[in-house]
Amino acid sequence: MKKYFALGCFLVFIITGLTAQNTDSIWVRENYYKIERMLPMRDGSKLFTAFYIPKDSSEKHPILLNRTPYSCSPYGENEFSGRVYGTYWINYLKEGYIIAVQDVRGKFMSEGDFVDVRPFNPNKKGKEFDEASDTYDAIEWMINNIPGNNKRVGCFGISYPGFYATMAALSNHPALKAVSPQAPVTDWFQGDDFHHNGALFIMDGFGFYTGFGKPRPKPVKEFAAGYQIPSQDNYDFYLKTGALKNFAKIMGDSIAFWKDLYDHPNYDDWWKARNARNFVTNVKPAMLVVGGLFDAEDCFGAWNLYKAIEEKNKNTDNRLVMGPWFHGGWGGRADGTFMGNVRFGKKTSEYYQKNIEIPFFNFYLKLKGTVRDIAEANIFFTGENEWRRLNEWPAKNVEYKSIFLTADGKLSFENKNVKTNSFSEYISDPAHPVPYTEDVHLGRTREYMTDDQRFASRRTDVLTFSTDVLTEDITLGGPLVADLVTSISTTDADFVVKLIDVFPDEFKYDEATFGKGNGLNYPMGGYQMLVRGEIMRGKFRNSFEKPEAFTPNKITEVKYALPDVAHTFKKGHKLMIQIQSSWFPLADRNPQKFIDIYKADDSDFQKATIKIYHDAVNASKIVLPVLKN
Amino acid sequence: MKKIITGFCILAATSSFAQDQNNFVKENYTKIDTTITMRDGIKLYTVIYIPKDETQLYPFLMERTPYSAGPYGKDNYPRGIGPNSELMKEKYIFVNQDVRGRYMSEGVNLEVTPYIADKKTKKEVDESSDTFDTIDWLLKNIKNNNGRVGLAGISYPGFYATACLPGAHPAIKAVSPQAPVTDEFIGDDANHNGAFFLLDNFSFMNFFDLERNGPVKNYAKPVFTSGTKDVYQFYLKMATVKNTNSEKYYNHKSVIWNEYLQHDTYDAYWKARNIRPHLKNINIPVLVVGGWFDAEDLFGALHTYEAIEKQSPNNNNRLVMGPWTHGAWASGEWTKFATHEFGSNTSKYFQDSLETKFFNYYLKDKGNFTASEATIFETGSNQWKNYDVWPPKNSSPVEYYFNNENKLSTKKENNKIGFDEYLSDPNKPVPYTNGIFGRRNNEYMAEDQRFAAIRPDVVIFESEVLTDDIVLAGRINADLFVSTTGTDADFIVKLIDVLPDTASNPKGSPRGFSMAGLQRLVRAEVMRGKFRNDPAKPEAFVSGKISEVKFDLNDVAHEFKKGHKIMVQVQSSWFPLIDRNPQKFMRIPEATEKDFEKATIKIYHDAVNASKIVLPVLK
Repeated sequence: MKKYFALGCFLVFIITGLTAQNTDSIWVRENYYKIERMLPMRDGSKLFTAFYIPKDSSEKHPILLNRTPYSCSPYGENEFSGRVYGTYWINYLKEGYIIAVQDVRGKFMSEGDFVDVRPFNPNKKGKEFDEASDTYDAIEWMINNIPGNNKRVGCFGISYPGFYATMAALSNHPALKAVSPQAPVTDWFQGDDFHHNGALFIMDGFGFYTGFGKPRPKPVKEFAAGYQIPSQDNYDFYLKTGALKNFAKIMGDSIAFWKDLYDHPNYDDWWKARNARNFVTNVKPAMLVVGGLFDAEDCFGAWNLYKAIEEKNKNTDNRLVMGPWFHGGWGGRADGTFMGNVRFGKKTSEYYQKNIEIPFFNFYLKLKGTVRDIAEANIFFTGENEWRRLNEWPAKNVEYKSIFLTADGKLSFENKNVKTNSFSEYISDPAHPVPYTEDVHLGRTREYMTDDQRFASRRTDVLTFSTDVLTEDITLGGPLVADLVTSISTTDADFVVKLIDVFPDEFKYDEATFGKGNGLNYPMGGYQMLVRGEIMRGKFRNSFEKPEAFTPNKITEVKYALPDVAHTFKKGHKLMIQIQSSWFPLADRNPQKFIDIYKADDSDFQKATIKIYHDAVNASKIVLPVLKN
Repeated sequence: MKKIITGFCILAATSSFAQDQNNFVKENYTKIDTTITMRDGIKLYTVIYIPKDETQLYPFLMERTPYSAGPYGKDNYPRGIGPNSELMKEKYIFVNQDVRGRYMSEGVNLEVTPYIADKKTKKEVDESSDTFDTIDWLLKNIKNNNGRVGLAGISYPGFYATACLPGAHPAIKAVSPQAPVTDEFIGDDANHNGAFFLLDNFSFMNFFDLERNGPVKNYAKPVFTSGTKDVYQFYLKMATVKNTNSEKYYNHKSVIWNEYLQHDTYDAYWKARNIRPHLKNINIPVLVVGGWFDAEDLFGALHTYEAIEKQSPNNNNRLVMGPWTHGAWASGEWTKFATHEFGSNTSKYFQDSLETKFFNYYLKDKGNFTASEATIFETGSNQWKNYDVWPPKNSSPVEYYFNNENKLSTKKENNKIGFDEYLSDPNKPVPYTNGIFGRRNNEYMAEDQRFAAIRPDVVIFESEVLTDDIVLAGRINADLFVSTTGTDADFIVKLIDVLPDTASNPKGSPRGFSMAGLQRLVRAEVMRGKFRNDPAKPEAFVSGKISEVKFDLNDVAHEFKKGHKIMVQVQSSWFPLIDRNPQKFMRIPEATEKDFEKATIKIYHDAVNASKIVLPVLK
């Protein structure tokens, strides 16, 4: 969640070498100065903006803009942000960029009212504004008022600032030449942050909004304090708090967006207006969409913003980068050699910064170098642990192959099931939801995206299907589709499908190649690595706008896409699928009763028996994007 | 397990003796390696350390072991000898003997050698007679002895210490059975209430029960190699107990393993191996020692003490129970374990104030030995308590009823209908510990049970927040009313101390650790359902019919502090600590994969069928 990003920004300074940082800090102070200005918007509101400007005036400098709801702090023209000297941003300063960081409308020191993922208005008139027009007005002011600028502007941002980068791209300001939305908040109903396929990501949403969502009647420099969860155990806290109603009570009624959530349980016009994908037409600047394969927050946004731009803009210079990263991992918060217990043997973050992002902005903003070496799609394939440079995404050589669930717990590329009425079943009990990760803890881990799933395989409410040991590598690159044939004993249920790489029993990382990873020396033999997991709130299986009840015990298809994957299952490994009906407290619990869950009472939650069919006719399967070699 | 003690003793010795000079033994003792002939002509290999100082007489202090009396050879001295370093410095004639049929001794080793009460010929031998014959020889052949003998031993050697008591040689003046193997069907090592302790035994016997043709200094390699890093996965894949004898594993080569599989009820084989009935008319001071966190022979310590107490009421019989794992009292330092911090070095206290004084007093007439009948470490409050009998007289049973809404209360609700149910699936057994381990996680007996509480196949009953401290001292009894859709099932009852949400983490706690809300295991035990009425006569459950399953959990001395909660968890598997129950009434060692069936299990708590746990509350 974005909260972690904000915190992460501070953590960066611990990660980066202190000596180098001091040197860079001194260098920045010697070569840059900082100014703070209130930039006028078309409606008269002024947005607070900090500029780091090179003292060098021998040439004109491009501007890199970052618009943020998380504060452009530290405030004060003598206070330099650690981000400019303590992260890879230092590279841009060494190249002479002007860095602009702006508090978005209504946040921190900017005037106006904040609106979460403010809808884009394609037909603005007069003083009407949105985030695109705010960006336009900011650029207009900057190129005319910041000394020594070359009138070429780039915009980038991670997470919520990634959303503002997308909006910047829609500003159509002619000086805006290059935009990089990174883990961009894109669709909060379908796949980013708040909901995945209609299921509320309660832990991230609640924890974050108790602070972030607080009203800000006047400009402030400090973060609002959030609710202190009176527990060290998120599973226990979220379970005991119970129905969503009870969270609303804790939240109180001052947090507007929390109330909006409850008012819009389905994908209605309100949500459609907040789906950036619906508006990314006529995109002019060069685009570099960046995301993490293991981003717990906006993995969906990165893949799908790229696709939406591709689809709606045939001629836009639009590129995609996906690496083995957690939320923002590419931006200097980790070297990208490992994610949780899984190691890659390469400094993927550094590779990205040096070979992709910096050359991208240099080319478009400084007319320096080339972007020839940046492919259309630059995708790191875990498992084989190599960057693949592809001309399109999904790759041309992808073949969608169904792998069928079988009665004996296997997976088979042919539907060999002959029997009728063959199914596996489990009881899904909202009083004992399946945890999303092991171990007692409070903050949502980012590592869960590659966690060992053995803890889940061992539960009675998780189904496991696995191939035999693979005799050759299988590389997946593209979207996964879960196509389940199910029946449930009640009227609603969630379905969580997890794609898992089962490592060989003897597997160990060779430290010479893979380093020490996270240093925990976790037993990797038989590791069940989560490659991709996604939830579908059953009632939305046919339409996000119009939820539909299940008829108890009637066979029903639940088919949905999981975010794309880029992973090689190596020879000697096994490919596993797990199916479960809760993922707690990542996603809120489904009462398993067809009801507006935001209005459900604790007494509405009930057990359900879930059947997943694997017979000749009702053949549950997963459609895998297999790359032909 | 018995095996672990070999490794552990070395460790313990290392730490307990670490501060001593490496040459202390060599400088102060003369070593003799010899064989001693038993009444049936079999020779037992015996290593004797005699103090070089000949100005006084010394008692013998003997350990009889199946784990090697080595190092062998008169010039090979160990770093330390005897139960602890103080005793080594006190000077005793230390005797280590390979028991019959093990290592350098002749003869045939029997699993937990049955005691023969009235021996008629010299061919009838047991551990008592072997000890007798050894002592007879020692008194006559080792000079400078004072005519007294003591025995001590931990785990399997604990059994050999106990085994000298019936028919004891009159020179035996002090015996300390420590974590003694006592009854391997009811509560020690191999089985608890008939449930087979698969994890420990499978790996133990692979190193223990190896073929030998005559005396050896080292046994051959283990029967097989497994090398797994994930025992849950390993045993699940192995699927059945029967498969332990597949070609890949024991392949029927282990005699004891075959006996274990053959004797799956409390039959004559096991009854002959229960030494308790023979502990009558004992007239030798005994110091029984055990650990509250002993995963192997906690039962043995408590029940050896109890058997002597009941059957030899006038004997000078004492019990020491500390916050220890198997043999931890022999280590140099024991101030913490799992999430417990005891506030003092409990092993040092035991060695200096109890063990050394006990032997000095009874074997050397040196000093006093004024220890109470029961010296008991109370967890929770983390202090030593002294009682004149165990369990204490002022401990009385209090019934805690399972109630609706997962409540545990001394008040019975008397509802017409009340039960909790779960699906017990042998293919997804409840793990006994959280995480991936290649061997038994020794901390499981004090582990946070939240990983289990969040499973659908574990039911919970929890008290209100305690408004006063509650101290438990004594045995726990679980009294369940159950039904199953199958014809057999296991029942595991766990008593848990729930820490308040305000409990703070000690410094340096790892990720995934939280004292707040910690569900710390205090005591747990399993009952293999078919043995609920008689361990010798298994009985099927009638599918769907309510049956009472009543069994004891081992003793505790624990304070539940004000602000904490008492929790009980009930589940039907504890894997791979114990093998899986097919949930079908049958001989489990014969079960094939297809015999394992899911079962729906109900735990009743209505007015008539009021499941409860009975706790020994101290007034």
